[in-house]
Amino acid sequence: MGGSAPDFRPATLRRHVLHMAQSGNSQHIGCAFSLIEIVSVLHSAVMRYDASAPGVPGFDQLILSKGHGVMALYAVHRELGWIRQSDLDHYFADGSLLHGLCEARIPGLEVCSGTLGHGLPIAVGMAYGHKRRGSDQKVYCIVGDGEMNEGPMWESMLFAAQHKLDNLVVIVDANGLQAMGTTGGIINLEPFAAKFEGFGFSAVDCDGHDLAQLGVAMTAAEPGRPHAVIARTIKGRGVSFMENKIEWHYLRINPQLMERALVELDAAEVAS
Amino acid sequence: MRSMLAELIAGSAERDPNFLALSGDHGYALFDPIRSRRPEQFVNVGIMEQALVGIAAGLAKTGYRPLVYGLAAFVPLRVLEQIKMDVCYSRLPVLFIGDGAGLVYSTLGSSHQCAEDVAALRPLPYMRIYAPCDAYELKASFEEAMSCAGPSYIRVGKSDRPAVNTAPLTATDAYFTFDPGLAADTCIVSMSSMTSVAHAAALEHGLPSLSVFRLKPLAEHTLGLLARFKRLIVLEEHSRFGGLASTLADAFIDEGMNVPGMKVLSLQEHFSEHCGSYQYALSEHEMSDADIVKRLRTHLAAAPGY
Repeated sequence: MGGSAPDFRPATLRRHVLHMAQSGNSQHIGCAFSLIEIVSVLHSAVMRYDASAPGVPGFDQLILSKGHGVMALYAVHRELGWIRQSDLDHYFADGSLLHGLCEARIPGLEVCSGTLGHGLPIAVGMAYGHKRRGSDQKVYCIVGDGEMNEGPMWESMLFAAQHKLDNLVVIVDANGLQAMGTTGGIINLEPFAAKFEGFGFSAVDCDGHDLAQLGVAMTAAEPGRPHAVIARTIKGRGVSFMENKIEWHYLRINPQLMERALVELDAAEVAS
Repeated sequence: MRSMLAELIAGSAERDPNFLALSGDHGYALFDPIRSRRPEQFVNVGIMEQALVGIAAGLAKTGYRPLVYGLAAFVPLRVLEQIKMDVCYSRLPVLFIGDGAGLVYSTLGSSHQCAEDVAALRPLPYMRIYAPCDAYELKASFEEAMSCAGPSYIRVGKSDRPAVNTAPLTATDAYFTFDPGLAADTCIVSMSSMTSVAHAAALEHGLPSLSVFRLKPLAEHTLGLLARFKRLIVLEEHSRFGGLASTLADAFIDEGMNVPGMKVLSLQEHFSEHCGSYQYALSEHEMSDADIVKRLRTHLAAAPGY
C-alpha cells in the first residue's frame, strides 16, 4: 500500500502522469488526462475491489479498452502501491516495467488494448462469465469515443444486450478528439447515448470531469440491461495549454511546460 | 471425423461444467449432440467473429474453458489479431477449431477456402497447432489440446477421405502409416486431408509414409524418424508458404541437420479460378487425387525411392 492511504484526487493523479511523461519523454498525455476523473471515481467510490493487490478474485474488474490512456491507470496503481514510484521514475527506460499502452501482463490491467476494439469484447466475455456463474461481480470498461469507430465494439454490445449483462458498465471517454481530428469530423457517432440505447443499453450523459456526476451516472444501471455512461470530457483536461489540443495526443513535455503545468494543477487544487 | 468432433465437443461439456462451445453461427449439425445433452454449454454468439474471440478470452479469464468454432477461413484468418492479443498474449486456454480447411468448400469460392491457416498461426507465441487426418488423429489432438493450459488450434478438413487409422492413437507423435522397411531412401510426409492420399501412394510405390499432425510444437521424434531418408515427398493441402514443408525445413535447420531434398506438392499461389467439385478445385493446383497419383508416378519414375 506504499505506507499511506491512496490519494485519488485528480490533481495528484495528473502529477503522476506528468512525471511519467517527462521521465519517459512519452506522448499520450492528453489521452490520459481526459479520463483522470473517471478512474478516480471508479477507484474511490464505485468499484468494489481489494486494494491490497490487483486482480483479487471475486471483486469488480476494470478494463481499459482505450489503451492510450494507460498512464491514468498507472497513476492510480501507483497510489494503490500496485506499482512502485521507481516504475514511474523509470518510465520507458531500458528494461523497465511499463509500456506506453495497456498490456495484460501488468497485474490489474487485464487486457492488451493498444490495438483498439479489443477491450470491450473481452469485458463483455468477463461480464457474461460472471453472469453465468451467478456472481454479482461487475465489469467496468472505459472506451474511447474514437475507439467506437471499431466494429467489434458494436458487435460485443449486441451480445451484451442479448444476454442482459446488467453487470457491465461501459464508460465512454467522450473527449471529441481522435488521432487526426475531431470525432465529429471523422466518423460522427452522435448522439452517442441514443446509439447505445438503440443497441439495448441504458445510457446517460454526464460531465466527465465532475466527480459527483460521474458517480451518479456510473451507478444508474437498470436491471436487465447493460449500462453506458457517456462521459463528456476534454482531452488534456487540467492543463490549459493542453486542453482540447489534438497535438497533445503526440507532444512531449519539456521542463518549461512542465513547470507551467504543475503551477496550474496546484492552483486548481487550491481553488477547489 | 465430424461425428467424432461432435462427440468430443459434447463429451467435453459433460465432463467439465466450465467447458463452453462458442460458435459464430456456424456448424449447424455439428453441435446437435451438445445442444441436446448440454444445451446451456453451447453459445451461438452471432455472426461476429472478432467479438467472438474477445468474448472467449473474457470467458477464459473468468475460469471457463472455451472452444471457438469457425470455418478456417474466418477462425483463424479473419481474427488473427484477436487470437494474438486477446488469447495468446495471456496464454489463455482457448481451443480454436478451424473447419473446412483447404479447398473443400469448392463451390462456395475463395472466401470459404483456406490455404494459409497453419502459416498464419505458426508465429504466434504459445499456440499449439494440430492438423489431423481422421477421427483418431482428431481425438488424440483434441484430448491433448484440452489437457494443455494455453491456446490450441485444430485444423479440421471435411474431405471425407478414408480413415488411415483403425484404432485410437495414444499420442500425437508422428508415425508411419505404412513402413515397408529400411531399404527406402524416400519418405512421403503429409498432414490433414493429404495423409489418406499419401498413404495410398505409399502402398502403391512401396514407400514409407509419415503422418505429422502436430505441427507446433512439432511432434517429437519427427526428425528422428526422417533421419534415415535422403529425400522427402511432402503432401499438404495448404500453401507452400508456412505449412508442413516449411515446418519440416525449419526444424531440420534448427537442429543443425542437413535438409533432405524435398518434393513439395502443395496448393499453388493463386485463388480458385472456376467453380466445381472439391476434386476440381484441387486440380486447379494439380492437387486432385488423380493429379497426385500421376505426379508421384512421374516423379518416382525419374527418381526411384530405393
